[in-house]
Amino acid sequence: MNKKTKNLSKKIALASLCTSLFLTAPHAFAANWLMLQGTEQPGIAPPVKIFGFIQPTYQKDFSDSFNGKYSSPKLIGPNLDTQSSFNILRARVGARGAPFSLDDKINYFIMAEFGNNSITNGGRYGSYRPYLTDASVTLNYIKGLRARLGLFKYPGAEEGLQGINSLNYINYTNVTNQLLLERYPTAGNLNILPQSTPNASLNGFSKPSSGFRDTGIQLFDAFDVGSWEHTYAVMLGNGQGVQMADNNSHKDLYLYWSSAYLFDLKNKGPMSPSVKLFSWYQAGKRTNAYNATQEQDRKRYGAGVSYLKKPFRMTAEYMWGKGMIYQGANNPQTLFNNNKANGGYIEGGWFIPNSQWELDLRYDKYVRNTDLPIETRFNTWTAGVQYHFNPKTRVTLDYSTRDYNSDAIAVNNQLKGVKGLVALQVTAMF
Amino acid sequence: MSHFRKHAAIAALMVALMSAAPSVMANPAAEPISQAVQDKPFAVARVALQISDGSGDKQQLVLNVAANLLKFYGADKVDIEVVAFGPGLRLLFKNNALEDQIQSLSAEGVRFSACDNTIAAMTKTLGHVPELSPVAKIVPAGIVRLVELNKAGYFVSRP
Repeated sequence: MNKKTKNLSKKIALASLCTSLFLTAPHAFAANWLMLQGTEQPGIAPPVKIFGFIQPTYQKDFSDSFNGKYSSPKLIGPNLDTQSSFNILRARVGARGAPFSLDDKINYFIMAEFGNNSITNGGRYGSYRPYLTDASVTLNYIKGLRARLGLFKYPGAEEGLQGINSLNYINYTNVTNQLLLERYPTAGNLNILPQSTPNASLNGFSKPSSGFRDTGIQLFDAFDVGSWEHTYAVMLGNGQGVQMADNNSHKDLYLYWSSAYLFDLKNKGPMSPSVKLFSWYQAGKRTNAYNATQEQDRKRYGAGVSYLKKPFRMTAEYMWGKGMIYQGANNPQTLFNNNKANGGYIEGGWFIPNSQWELDLRYDKYVRNTDLPIETRFNTWTAGVQYHFNPKTRVTLDYSTRDYNSDAIAVNNQLKGVKGLVALQVTAMF
Repeated sequence: MSHFRKHAAIAALMVALMSAAPSVMANPAAEPISQAVQDKPFAVARVALQISDGSGDKQQLVLNVAANLLKFYGADKVDIEVVAFGPGLRLLFKNNALEDQIQSLSAEGVRFSACDNTIAAMTKTLGHVPELSPVAKIVPAGIVRLVELNKAGYFVSRP
């Protein structure tokens, strides 16, 4: 090897090293969750990419009992046994890719949940069991009309649709948890009165929660028009969450539209500087688990906006619902109803410049059983701080102050003792 | 009238079917190496980058290496040819997610060569000729192109 060649070799090695360092940064995840979760990048998708994340969590609830008894908002889920607990809130493993690399118009996505949460924990009437949360195939043969079939996150509200490992808080907002995260009772599930701790075991739903997922078919795509990216989706599904099979002949309809203004067209990653406006609608029918002759319409719809341009982030959503309004984890028998509810949240984040710290603040509001004598209101402020060890690992500390009250005296007696909640969580992705 | 309508409908259907079928535009053959050398008379470094791996990371790596070389030497002072063969030919598939970067490098003088042997093998597997990026130029055999580039003084690297 002559001197010139040696020199060049050194420079190429240096260039390769620089490039390798660049590549250790995670691949950009599009903030367009429909495209991110449903499609692979053409030409570069591997046949199999293993991925997942683990979220060890600790939570302590400072609420007071009422006559020595606790209701579900005062206890740590999903077990709802005590007021403090370590937990593996989520532990998910999945694989995705384009199975035949020469024709990567076919993509797949499969994932299972091994953590302890409302999907895997059947509470008093069930037991822990890992669950398949995603199993879908996407066909990208027709431009403008991609088709995704199987079990996957339905197009809907941002908080539920986003990759959960990207949620900037440990707990969902009340409106998302109660209005959107659907629960499914079975005939044997009974309402549970407030209990003393430990072993309150107030979770009365034996079936897995929806996980914001459904089994069905979705037609969707995204279009770039100048600096705008428009996305649509239409889906038909069972309306049975992750349970895969339907229990009636009716199908749920989901509609979704978003328009995002991209400040940087070359950056469509999770931190893509953009403003996104979105709206969604879903409608279906549910069969009464305790009386199969009864059916009930279930409607949900909402709209929102998200903004991200470092060092600031902001999201706001508002949504409405009618029918099948959840009345608490301990009340499976009252879920079949035609009540109304609405709520929303606004949250913001500040990435402290030149540091790995992030400060977050969120206000969420939920009004359950509106215009009824049992109207109940949930107002929560959550302050959070996150430290990002690296782009794939972070620790989150949240503190929530909660002001819950109800027009129903018995419910209000339980809710007035609801106080602060502290939560600590590490998120490690791979 | 109804007869005319039927013909018109059939004609419209045929046009629609034809337009839905992928139109395969043959990519041109790569220019001889001697010509490529003449086209870059001020180059102080000549580099051939091999991509024979289909993974997205490797594709990105090759493109980034080419970009870093351009940044270091300047577009007039470096002569770069990326030679894609085997699974690495995916880099030059039309609509590859990295197509913007490929176009940008091409605009700065980086050449992209596609192995004809690989194209033939993939055609057999797929049942049709794979559509390639318009910047791809065909060479009879990727490995032979690398040997010839090396003989012409190019530094061959497989990032």
